[in-house]
Amino acid sequence: MSDVKTLAIEKLKLLNPEYPELIEAIVVANKKIYLSLKTDKTKIDIFTRIKLQIEKELSAIDGIDSVSVSLTSHSESMQSKADTRAVTSGISEVRNIISVASGKGGVGKSTISINLAVAINQLGFSVGLLDADVYGPSIPKLVGDRQKPKKSKAGKILPIQKYNISLMSIGFLVPEDSPMIWRGPMVITAVSQMLNDVEWGQLDYLIVDMPPGTGDVQLTMAQRVPMSGAVIVSTPQDLALIDAIKGIEMFKKVNVPILGMIENMSTFICPNCKNESHIFGFEGAKVEAKNQNVDFLGDIPLEIDLRECSDNGKPIMLSKTDSTVSKKFLEIAKLVKSKIEDNSNSEKPNIIIN
Amino acid sequence: MIPKNIILSENKKELTLEYEVKKSVMSAEFLRVNSPSAEVKGHSPAQKKTVSGKRGISINSIELVGNYAIKLIFDDGHSTGIYTWQYLQELFMGKDKIWKEYISELRKKGLYRD
Repeated sequence: MSDVKTLAIEKLKLLNPEYPELIEAIVVANKKIYLSLKTDKTKIDIFTRIKLQIEKELSAIDGIDSVSVSLTSHSESMQSKADTRAVTSGISEVRNIISVASGKGGVGKSTISINLAVAINQLGFSVGLLDADVYGPSIPKLVGDRQKPKKSKAGKILPIQKYNISLMSIGFLVPEDSPMIWRGPMVITAVSQMLNDVEWGQLDYLIVDMPPGTGDVQLTMAQRVPMSGAVIVSTPQDLALIDAIKGIEMFKKVNVPILGMIENMSTFICPNCKNESHIFGFEGAKVEAKNQNVDFLGDIPLEIDLRECSDNGKPIMLSKTDSTVSKKFLEIAKLVKSKIEDNSNSEKPNIIIN
Repeated sequence: MIPKNIILSENKKELTLEYEVKKSVMSAEFLRVNSPSAEVKGHSPAQKKTVSGKRGISINSIELVGNYAIKLIFDDGHSTGIYTWQYLQELFMGKDKIWKEYISELRKKGLYRD
């Protein structure tokens, strides 16, 4: 694969020695070349021509079916505009945005997100779920759907409707096995687009499944997306808790209220002997929530059912409605809802310009 | 910490922040010369610029930034200052001192408010 990449760059060099300098990213996957070029916005005509020229040239490479060249503009005025603008337009009719975050990856944040979304929906609210984990989108797998989103008449992307939830994920837009080799600013652009250019419509709640970590991307999102609150997911293990605390600190810094902590994989009950094992420690998140002075929203045990439902693409909230886990999710959803309602009046200041 | 109301006066030269129990009033000039923007503050205290000639400046518009700040857009085109609630409070608390320092700085550098 990397040979194709080198070859492609060589070909660009032959077309014009300056072209390789314009390359922002180049990815070869599934016999396709994805190329993004730095574009000068004022010379869009020239760049459109360059794009066609490159697409033609590169599709002649052996073993390549198609070439997709995208033009990206980072002229100064554009960037500063994008940087300071609050991300609001596509979500103007969304009443509450809740982010589900964890400092550490692999603690089950996406599983919690989808089940929480379904649970809030079962309480009678309209719910959307945005998978902001661009590097490892899990939502398509968790809902067992990979259909391509359609466009509305106004040219906006329509969210995928599944299980009564409006869904959007980068996983619906790119092939499953193609990695996203992107730098931070591109991730932020992609997430902003999934907020702004998706026709979310009227929603009571939009759950944002955040990428794990407390880096640049997460901080930028926490700053720019007008979030009503954040839910922190952690396992009881110290290692995960250390990172969860960083997550709490990050949201506090940008005044996003912490709705509380959820402890995932809290305990394991052996299906054979019914013996309870605390694989990742006992009540770690509960204790830490108290230390951090945030609420504890509930614990979700490590259960084979939950894993199986997730892998089969039907959330446990829908496939095993009577299970303990489903009941726990419903309890958590009720807590989240009441906390949001308590907060909603006091938060946003009014701007009055006479 | 978070103000309830943010009010721009009719002549657009005065910003009032109303909190639960207290109120703070600051002039557009004061806010402009103390903009937290890197254009003014630089990236270290040594890089700080003294902004002069801003008497009578007005604020064109105010935008909320997430839940933690506002962005003020001034009529001289300056729009990169993100004023966090915390920073606004610090400015108001130290208003007299900061203003005095500003005036003496102007004098030292031979600059004027006009």
